[in-house]
Amino acid sequence: MLAAVGVAALAGAWLFAAIRLWRTSVPGDLSLPGLDQHRYFGDAQLDRVASYEAFLRVDQLLATLATLVALGLYAARGARFARESAAGRIGTGMLLGMLGLGFVWLAQFPFGLAALWWEREHDVSSQGYVTWAINNFLSVGGGFLFISLALLIVMALAGVWRRRWWLPAAPALVAIGLLFAFVQPYLIPDLDPIRDPQVAADARQLAAEEGISGTTVRVQNTHNLGGGPNAEAAGVGPSKRVILWDTLLESFRRAEIRVVLAHEFAHLSRHHILKTFAWTALLALPIAFFVALTTRRRGGLFEPAAVPVAIFVVAALLFLLSPLQHAFSQRLEAEADWVALETTRDPGATKALFRRFTRIALVQPDPPGWASLLIDTHPSIMERIEMAEAWRARHPR
Amino acid sequence: MRLYVGEHMNGEETAEPRSNEAPDPNPQARIVVRDDLRRSRLTVFFRFFLALPHLIVLGVWSLIALLMAIINWFAILFSGRTVGGDLQVRYLRYFTQVDAYLNLAANPFPGFGGEADSYPIEVEVSEARRQNRWKTAFRFVLALPAVLLASTFGAAGAQVGGDNFRASFGIIAAAAFLGWFASLVRARMPQGLRDLIVYGLGYSVQVAAYVLLVTDRYPDSDPLAPRYGPPPPDHPIRISTDDDLRRSRLTVFFRLLLWLPHLVWLILWGVATAFAILANWFVTLFAGRPAGALHGFIAGYLRYWTHTTAFLYLVANPFPGFTGRAGSYPVDLHIAPPARQNRWKTGFRLILAIPGLIVVGALGNAFALVALFGWFVGLMLGRMPRGLRNLGVFALRYHAQVAAYVWILTDRYPYAGPSLELPRPEAVPVPQSG
Repeated sequence: MLAAVGVAALAGAWLFAAIRLWRTSVPGDLSLPGLDQHRYFGDAQLDRVASYEAFLRVDQLLATLATLVALGLYAARGARFARESAAGRIGTGMLLGMLGLGFVWLAQFPFGLAALWWEREHDVSSQGYVTWAINNFLSVGGGFLFISLALLIVMALAGVWRRRWWLPAAPALVAIGLLFAFVQPYLIPDLDPIRDPQVAADARQLAAEEGISGTTVRVQNTHNLGGGPNAEAAGVGPSKRVILWDTLLESFRRAEIRVVLAHEFAHLSRHHILKTFAWTALLALPIAFFVALTTRRRGGLFEPAAVPVAIFVVAALLFLLSPLQHAFSQRLEAEADWVALETTRDPGATKALFRRFTRIALVQPDPPGWASLLIDTHPSIMERIEMAEAWRARHPR
Repeated sequence: MRLYVGEHMNGEETAEPRSNEAPDPNPQARIVVRDDLRRSRLTVFFRFFLALPHLIVLGVWSLIALLMAIINWFAILFSGRTVGGDLQVRYLRYFTQVDAYLNLAANPFPGFGGEADSYPIEVEVSEARRQNRWKTAFRFVLALPAVLLASTFGAAGAQVGGDNFRASFGIIAAAAFLGWFASLVRARMPQGLRDLIVYGLGYSVQVAAYVLLVTDRYPDSDPLAPRYGPPPPDHPIRISTDDDLRRSRLTVFFRLLLWLPHLVWLILWGVATAFAILANWFVTLFAGRPAGALHGFIAGYLRYWTHTTAFLYLVANPFPGFTGRAGSYPVDLHIAPPARQNRWKTGFRLILAIPGLIVVGALGNAFALVALFGWFVGLMLGRMPRGLRNLGVFALRYHAQVAAYVWILTDRYPYAGPSLELPRPEAVPVPQSG
């Protein structure tokens, strides 16, 4: 009886937290006008971005499928790699975890290469194949370190609580994730202050208007990455900062950069990074429980042999939960767009920004619904333009 | 699993059978030592100038040998046989004798004819008349890895780029440089340095024999192959290996990345170890012997470093544990318990360690090539060549001995020769602890 009450209380708290996190400051009665994309983009342009994105979407789906197949095989046969370890229980678990990620890398490599080829064909990327391959390989190192730390925690907890390790493990892993989020901005290379005094002044003014005066803004040299324009908000607490790619500053007008800055500041002022962690924590608890359940036949995560199964289960669950994750992410992005509109009060620049994105980065303005569900973390370009129009309709001059 | 300190690597026969065997029609060039380590201070002091006539002769003879090699290349391709009598063999013998004299591996002034059995450092080599045509056709490509490795044994090298200038010693040059000072002071060449030079000379002559088409046997980098003479005295820091040469292709491919968690732990543990070393230095300086607890803590770290470095450099296969526990890894470091140490040697330890650090630097390039070649070979064959593995074990042991010396685990100077790993008559099997 007590257990049932406990589970019910836990489920209630879970639901309450999920509903709270789902809410945003975008007006609930905001209705998007449903615009025709042909009003903003030419037919040739729409055809080009549609074919460009179609290839990348299929490529990404195939990569995901290959990853799941590779991890499925690894779950079935991976325990044999324990013989390659002279480490103890936890060390062997770490090795198996890292090799699992190694298989993921091997499975995704050809699809990544195909994506790069496609981007180069369309002048979206200028990165060389060898540079990409080396960077891609070395970037796995971060994943290896993270999974080693995660397995150290989980398997150590499983040593103490053989079956109920998942209860303390979920918050512990989220705490580790938060620590990484705190440190991550300090690890981004090639960061410089904004050189353009006008953009720097805009950044100061917009940060003040959003109530986060003094937020650091840095420009990242991304020429060696060879990608299109972008920006990001990173860090938690004192490490919070906004990072603009230099390719963005080179390709966009000042009013459009203001919109990007306001959007990224909104992520920080509305605590989107923390909210994302809270959301992840909500999902981590049932995922950890499910992992504990599915690895019992191999002795639970106390045994290194259970690690390949655990990795497969986590990957499969994350894939199944990806529509929920993407929907949550799209809501946060929509809120950041809305706050940016409220701050800049410049829907014209907002629309120009997204039209330019379509032209430079070949983003499809109105992608198919399944892509929005399975792949996209942001609202579509048309939805974002429609939001700008909706804001204008609510604020007549 | 049993580990044998001072026994064969992995209980294997590390060199070819030395007696009662059928004569090999295509034998590996092998170096034999009859040197007694005594040196004349006068000839040591003027060694380079004394060697000048030989260097001139050697230069001319080298051109002839190169020409002969080209002739033989065509001869083998067309007829499958070499020509030219034993000219190339005599050249290799002379080349080794001059190199040994110049680099202080031997004392007497060599003759100019490359005569057999005429010098304390001798090469046993005979020309293989019949050679494989395919191996001959692609000889210069096939020889590239061996030539690269041999280049790390060679003389000094320098890199100039922009405003940077970096000079580095090859293994032979570093040992000869240090041996020059030691021989002047003691009228005797340290056995470790002599053996290290002998090893370098032995590998160089094998590469030369391969490139000059004297034999089509690929050079063997095994440091245990040469006959070094009497074994050296025992050392408190020893290495043993129980590795079966098998390598997992998957872990070889990701080896560097798999090592990253160990790197993090090495750094974290290393911070604590640095303080322990400092404290141990004070304790040893005042008490005359290290504190047991500090000694154990530092020894554990050094053993862990040995395990992880063996893993990173492909000297061993399995993923190591994080505790540095003795007997937990196929390549293991055996560290003697704390013993009395000379206070003077303790006080000036860092300065005294400089020669050892020079040799470590010289061995570093060869050690890096062990990992590089081992990576490719391991991926292709799923095995590590024994010669490369043993070279890695030797480099690892010397690194560990230098570290143990600097970290006050022992005041016995690191032994630079590869002969420490050779079988010892008095060797006693040591059961694996834990």
